[in-house]
Amino acid sequence: MKKRTEIILKILNVFAWIAFIALMVKAGAILFSYCYTIFKPEAAKNFYEGQNLYNFRLSHFWQYTLTVALRAIMPILESYTAYLIIRVLSKIKLSSPFTMEIANVLERISFFILATWAVTIMYNSFAAWLIKENPGLPLTIVSGDFIFLAGIVFVFAQIFKKGVELQSENELTV
Amino acid sequence: MPIIVNLDVMMAKRKMSLNELSEKVDLTLANLSILKTGKAKAIRFSTLEAICKALDCQPGDLLEFSKE
Repeated sequence: MKKRTEIILKILNVFAWIAFIALMVKAGAILFSYCYTIFKPEAAKNFYEGQNLYNFRLSHFWQYTLTVALRAIMPILESYTAYLIIRVLSKIKLSSPFTMEIANVLERISFFILATWAVTIMYNSFAAWLIKENPGLPLTIVSGDFIFLAGIVFVFAQIFKKGVELQSENELTV
Repeated sequence: MPIIVNLDVMMAKRKMSLNELSEKVDLTLANLSILKTGKAKAIRFSTLEAICKALDCQPGDLLEFSKE
């Protein structure tokens, strides 16, 4: 049973690394594309995932900048969350899993998921407003169901903290 | 904590070392040290029984309640 859990945790660690690298690449691609379009606006014709933001880039530069910034912050926050998950998975020991360090990291993960949700809501509202103002603008609305996930992780972090207390009591029982 | 462990007092009265007690009650030195220094959060009845047997005393001789 313990061995099976160890294997599952190792596989999850690999997935977390893949997610971390993929999200970093995504954030890097968006930021690089943005920097490139500052000097060469034609490049906005084929922005990230083939979006044609050329006219938008030319007519509303600062709105374009804000859109790209919000779009880039999302994968940055997500990649940091993936990094925190990697930290949890690499530090957890099945012989004594409940440590305050891991509980704190879990709590931080929930806050970062909440922050990602907040940024997603901001981006979606801004994109919806932009589409209304500029019909035909090829902006996509991003799914923002993170708040539920953030709540679950936060509850797990609190339960984990109780586990830390119980473990330390158990260790100090003679 | 308001519960004081007087293990060291009883050990001194019986002129028993920590190593000797550890062997008699089958507890590790680390655990006995936790108990002796008052860091323990709980004590099992089986441990208390073994220590009382080894030191020939009552639980009340080992544990004391203080309001402070």
